[in-house]
Amino acid sequence: MTVNGAAASLEATAEVPASGEVVGRVLGTQAASPLSFWVGLEPGKVLQLDDVVVTRREVPGYGPVLMAGVVSTVEARHEGAAYDSDVFLIADGALPAAVVEVAEVRVTRVEPEVFVPPLPGATVYLARGGDRDQALYFDVMERRVPLGMGRDGQPLYVNFDFLDGTRGAHVSISGVSGVATKTSFATFLLYSIFNSGVLRDESANTKALIFSVKGEDLLFLDHDNLRLDESARGVYGRLGLPARAFGSVHVFAPPRPGDPNGVPHVAARTQGVSAFYWTLVEFCAEELLRFVFADADDERAGYSLLVGQVAARLKAWAEPVGDGGAVMVRGTACRTFADLVELLSDELQDEAGRQEWTGAQTPLGTVNAFLRRLRSAVRALSPIIRGDLPFYRNHSVSTSDAQVSIVDLHNLPERAQRFVVGVVLRGEFHRKESSGTARPLLFVVLDELNKYAPREGDSPIKEILLDVAERGRSLGVILIGAQQTASEVERRIVSNSAVRVAGRLDPAEAARSEYGWLPPAVRERATIAKPGTMFVAQPEIPVPLAVAFPFPAWATRPAEAAARAATATSEDPFKGLPGVEDDIPPF
Amino acid sequence: MTGFTVDPWDPGYAAALAVEALSELGATSAELVLDVERPAADWKPVTPGPSAAAPGTLLVADGVRRIDARVWVHDDDAPMPLPGIAASYAAGIVRCGPDGAELAAIDVHRTLISASPLTPEVKTAHAVYRPSRAAGSAFDELSLALQRQVTQSEVDLAVRHRSASDDLLLVDGPLRGRTHLPRTVGYIKTHHTAYLPSPQSAVVAALGPGQRTPVFLMGTSWRRHAWYLRLPVQSSAPWAGIARCEASADLDAGEVARLADAVTLALPALAGVDYKDPRAPQNLVPIGGLEKLLRHHLGDARLLYRSLRNASR
Repeated sequence: MTVNGAAASLEATAEVPASGEVVGRVLGTQAASPLSFWVGLEPGKVLQLDDVVVTRREVPGYGPVLMAGVVSTVEARHEGAAYDSDVFLIADGALPAAVVEVAEVRVTRVEPEVFVPPLPGATVYLARGGDRDQALYFDVMERRVPLGMGRDGQPLYVNFDFLDGTRGAHVSISGVSGVATKTSFATFLLYSIFNSGVLRDESANTKALIFSVKGEDLLFLDHDNLRLDESARGVYGRLGLPARAFGSVHVFAPPRPGDPNGVPHVAARTQGVSAFYWTLVEFCAEELLRFVFADADDERAGYSLLVGQVAARLKAWAEPVGDGGAVMVRGTACRTFADLVELLSDELQDEAGRQEWTGAQTPLGTVNAFLRRLRSAVRALSPIIRGDLPFYRNHSVSTSDAQVSIVDLHNLPERAQRFVVGVVLRGEFHRKESSGTARPLLFVVLDELNKYAPREGDSPIKEILLDVAERGRSLGVILIGAQQTASEVERRIVSNSAVRVAGRLDPAEAARSEYGWLPPAVRERATIAKPGTMFVAQPEIPVPLAVAFPFPAWATRPAEAAARAATATSEDPFKGLPGVEDDIPPF
Repeated sequence: MTGFTVDPWDPGYAAALAVEALSELGATSAELVLDVERPAADWKPVTPGPSAAAPGTLLVADGVRRIDARVWVHDDDAPMPLPGIAASYAAGIVRCGPDGAELAAIDVHRTLISASPLTPEVKTAHAVYRPSRAAGSAFDELSLALQRQVTQSEVDLAVRHRSASDDLLLVDGPLRGRTHLPRTVGYIKTHHTAYLPSPQSAVVAALGPGQRTPVFLMGTSWRRHAWYLRLPVQSSAPWAGIARCEASADLDAGEVARLADAVTLALPALAGVDYKDPRAPQNLVPIGGLEKLLRHHLGDARLLYRSLRNASR
């Protein structure tokens, strides 16, 4: 079996014998069925939740049938005690009684598919090597991506067919903020995809776009983590992954407020950073006005028609002025977003002007509501919609610069975050649409999906996200969405995700039907899951896998960041000179 | 042709003859020596002294029996078949120590008892019933024959286990047949005969919980040391919670007093509670637990009954 080409680590399959140690026998006091059965444990043997076990049964006409499953419940009790107070008598040595431990196993695989129950008394083994691979379908995964370690200390995988669009796409990650480690898991998943060899010769061209809303945590993805110890390295080794930082990272940050040169607003990072903003020319030409009204409330307010009309007029009437991206609209020059809003305000409040801008009779109340909403956006959007910065500077968010592009949103108000997410997503989606090929893939990591694609209401961003969820699979745009509450996210987006992940869940949230893919015992356990433990469901495996993903090999905060590898830069003869973006000759 | 037929009557029917009363049969007149520990005139309740200590580990032996079926044993030469019983019985020893109570040894037997010399060995799908012979065909005699086998099995097990350890062994029931075993005490829950004369039996009624009477020597069909003790009990009836213990007649007065003190200290902690056990407090918790275990080891009664009926065809 070759998996993921040469990079795959098959040590588990090669070294451990097919059946591990005997742990117990199938119980006869509880009915055994082809889908679940109970195991009585031998004294001194332990099974814990999520352990993988196998048993076999000789079936006439079929030969040995392997029944493999995952432990879903473990129980211990006194056998022979009738009253609760008997526990003291038993502990004091007065009443003879036996301590028994039993475990419930949910069957994941029957091979060959002969659905007969295991016979009571049949020996049950802890699954190792080939048996474990069979139980969890790893043997039929041609391209598998390491997810992390199982409770048994062996690697767990996800089938890449369900990530890259071959048979499914998109990942939905849910969990309580702070302890669920959603972003860390999404980053690890990306790292695993890029470095496990599943991408083969596309690995260099496959891109990731991460929208970062959580401070500057993600700005050090390309720095080695100083706190990575030997045991964590060992985990990476067993997963078949190198323990290193992301190779190629570019950060896009909004311009620093008030800075005349549009320097990126990032404190902790100096290299591989550029500022992003849109010029007024682009704002008018690409009809970005609708992303200013990207709230669900805006759709209800009834001025969406007006927004479309004004955007169309701007596209038609705005002419570039100078080289800073400023526009001239009907004889008035606008150098800032505030100028543009002022212009629109003047024109629309004028009776004649309103006729020309809106084309038809528009109630004054609607116009006023539109203007009120537009004015309130000035403060939020002024830093990123500009006409006063040198136009030749590269200022757009693009995924072509590096493998991982990070759009840092944490310095922006919510209104501006929506604008950026909407415009960037639309741009990338259209680029993939027009390129006509799904490959190479683009992974988009977006946290707080419930904000951008809420279950109720409509917005331009939700439209784009729905487009990504429904057509992205064929266009090669893979959404890795994260949210605190999947119940508040548009149902079609969650249901289109082939891979579902849950970290620590709020107990009330865990009870909702959106988490029906978690069996009741797992759902209960998800409310006490530790940071770093995720439950991953994929279409092929009938139970979610409990995964502990390794400590990040890249820095997640400035204190952890090692200096960028010196060997790489010392070969650069222009070392020490200012970077390309920082100092472009003015000609 | 010799064979047997299973009687369709419920096996438990008419089996209510008290097993313990059977074992006491023949205890008609008792020879008593009251001044083993103290003069007969000076009898009073004894509280174990500070030098006495409860044993760290206590072995408890007991046996259980169950009649699986009433059968008819065929004899072609006899005008009518003879009645018999198919029974399962088990003897076991439980070790109560600081590490908990565990089953130390167990013996399970099954037998088919009748007065007929042609009693067959019955092999069923689940168990084998070995033939044995009773003195007569009356149910009492069959039951007594079974009880003898149970007692013999208990004795065999105790003797076998005694060679492996020398912890204090508490035997459920009279010590009959086991008096030669060292450090072994018989434990009698029920009282069918008043052995003590009236001034001394008043001392029994005056016992407080955890106290015992002085040791006395009694001889019925065999001789043994004995004493009464009272277990903790809610009831204030005069003989509530009273149990009798027996030890070998070969021990000297000092040894038997030490043994009596040790047992008197050990037993109150093991007394049963009335809402859990209708025979509390005399039915000690380890004995109750052991009986439950032994009954469990006897197997499922309905299964055995069915297999016996199948085998009889």
